[in-house]
Amino acid sequence: MTLFKKEMVENWRNKKWVWVPLVFILLAVMDPISNYYMADILGAVGGLPDGAVFEMPDFTPPEVVMMSLGQLSSLGVLIIVLISMGTISGEIKNGVSELILVKPISYTNYITAKWTALMLLSWGALIIGMLGSWYYINILYGEISIADFLSTVFFYGLWLTFIVSLSIFFNTISKTPGLVAFLTILTIMVMSALTKVFQHLLEWSPNNLSSYIMQMLIEGNIPSNLTGTALTTVGLSILLLIFSIVIFRKREIAN
Amino acid sequence: MTLLKAKDLTKKYEDKTVVNHVNFEFQEGNCIALIGPNGAGKTTILRTLAGLLKPTSGSIIFNGKENQDFRAFIGYLPQYPVFHPWMTGLEFLIYSAQISNFSKKEAKQRAENILHKVGIADAKNKPISKYSGGMKQRLGIAQAIIHKPKLLMLDEPVSSLDPIGRREVLTLMEELKQDMTILFSTHILSDADEVSDELLLLNQGEIVESGSMKGLREKYQTSMIELEFQFDRDSYLEKVQDIPSVNLVKVERNILFVSANDIEKVRNDILTLAAKENWPLMSFQVNRASLEDMFMKVVNQSCNG
Repeated sequence: MTLFKKEMVENWRNKKWVWVPLVFILLAVMDPISNYYMADILGAVGGLPDGAVFEMPDFTPPEVVMMSLGQLSSLGVLIIVLISMGTISGEIKNGVSELILVKPISYTNYITAKWTALMLLSWGALIIGMLGSWYYINILYGEISIADFLSTVFFYGLWLTFIVSLSIFFNTISKTPGLVAFLTILTIMVMSALTKVFQHLLEWSPNNLSSYIMQMLIEGNIPSNLTGTALTTVGLSILLLIFSIVIFRKREIAN
Repeated sequence: MTLLKAKDLTKKYEDKTVVNHVNFEFQEGNCIALIGPNGAGKTTILRTLAGLLKPTSGSIIFNGKENQDFRAFIGYLPQYPVFHPWMTGLEFLIYSAQISNFSKKEAKQRAENILHKVGIADAKNKPISKYSGGMKQRLGIAQAIIHKPKLLMLDEPVSSLDPIGRREVLTLMEELKQDMTILFSTHILSDADEVSDELLLLNQGEIVESGSMKGLREKYQTSMIELEFQFDRDSYLEKVQDIPSVNLVKVERNILFVSANDIEKVRNDILTLAAKENWPLMSFQVNRASLEDMFMKVVNQSCNG
C-alpha cells in the first residue's frame, strides 16, 4: 500500500495526472470536431473552384467513436508506453532500487503497485478522453447511449490494460527504458501482423478488440467474439503480470 | 555470537571471477572493515550480502539461518546512493520506515529522530534534488538505520566526502557501533584504522588476510626508530651504526630510520648514548607498522604468490 501511494504521489507531482488526461481528451475529440467542420474549414481556407460541389460524407455516431479510438490506438498507446517504460527499469538504472529493494518489501507488491498505478492513470485518461468524445458526438452527430458508451470504454480499457502489462513485463527483463518501449511497441506490431495473417485462427487476438467494439455499436449487442477476445486479453494480462513477478524475483537488481 | 558467515561465496560474470571462494564470518557487535584496492570485489560482496546480487555459488548464513531473506535485519548504504529527487528528506525517511513495516505514526517519529541524529533536520522539508553531496550521504545513512538493523553495511561511506563531512560520518559510525554490527568497505586505510575492530583484506576477489586489528598489528609488527637531528647528521650516522644489532634502513633529510630485532634494547642504547654525548636530537620516535605497510605487504605477497 505504501508502495502504491508513492507511485500515485510521484505521478501527481511529475504532473502525469494532468498532461496524460489532457492529451487523451485532445486525441479523442480531435477527429469528431475536425470532421464535422471539414466543409466549413475547406470553405474558409478556399482553393475550391467556383461551382465545385463537394459532398462531405455523413458519419454515423459509431464511425466517429471508432475515429476517437483510432487516435487512441496509435498516439494514446504510444503515450502509455512512454510513461511506463522507465517505471521499474529506470529505477534500477539510476540506482534508487538499491535503496528500496534491500528493504523487506515483497517483490509482488513492488510490481503490482506499479501496475495498479499505471492502470489507474491509463483508465482515468481513457474515461476522461472518451467523455469528451462522447459529448461532441452527441451534439454533432447523434446519440450514443450511456450503455454503449460504458461498454466501449470498458472493452477498450482492456486493450490498454494489456499494453500496461506488456510494458511492465519488459520492464522486468530490461534495464534500459528505451529498450522497454521498443520491445513493447515491437510486440504490439508483431501481434497485429500475426492477427491479420492468421485471421481465422486468431479470432480472439487482443488486437481485434476495436473491430468487435465497432460491431457491438452497430449491432447493438455484445458479440460473442468480443466476450471471447476480452477474456483472452484479461488472461494474457494476468499471465504477463505473473511472469513479471517470477522474473523479477530471480533478477539481480544492481548493475 | 556469529552474526554472519559467508561460505565459499563466489560471483562470476561470464568468464570473469569477481569474488572467488570467499570465506569469512564475524561476531555480533563488531565493526568490520573490508579493505582492498579498487576492483578487489568489495562492492560485489556487499551487494551480494544485501541480496542485490545472487551469488554464483556458496551461501550466506545470517544469524544461523542459511540463504534466507534477512533484509529486515540489515541496513545498506550503496556507494552512490540515489533517492527519489521529488521527495523531501523527511518524506523519503518516512517512506523507508513504512516499507520496513512500521506504522505511519511510528515511521514519522523515527524519521524525525533520525534526522536529528544525522544532523540534517533543518533541511528535512527540502526536496532531495536540492541536497548537497554530504547531506545525501547523511540521508543515506539515515535510511539505512531507520529500522534499527542488526547489521549495517556501508559501501565506501566516507570516500566521497570533504574532510569535515568525513569526520562527521566517522563520529556517527563510532556512535552507531554501540547499537549494531557495522561492515563497511573502504580503500582509505586510516579510516579503517580509526573505527574498525576487525579487518578483512581483499585483493583480486580473494580474502588475503583477516583478523582483529590488534592481532594483525602484532603479526606485521616491524618497529622502527626514527631519529631526527638538528644538524650534523652524518657524524652521528656512524655512531648509530656502531650500536650492536642495529640496521640502518634509510636516511631522509635529517632523519635516520633504524630497525632492530630487539627494539627495546636498541632504544635504550641509543637513548643512553644520546644523553651521554649530548646529541642534537630534534625528535625520537618509535613507530609501529602502519596499516598501509601491512596492506602493501599483504597485497604484494598475494600478487607474487
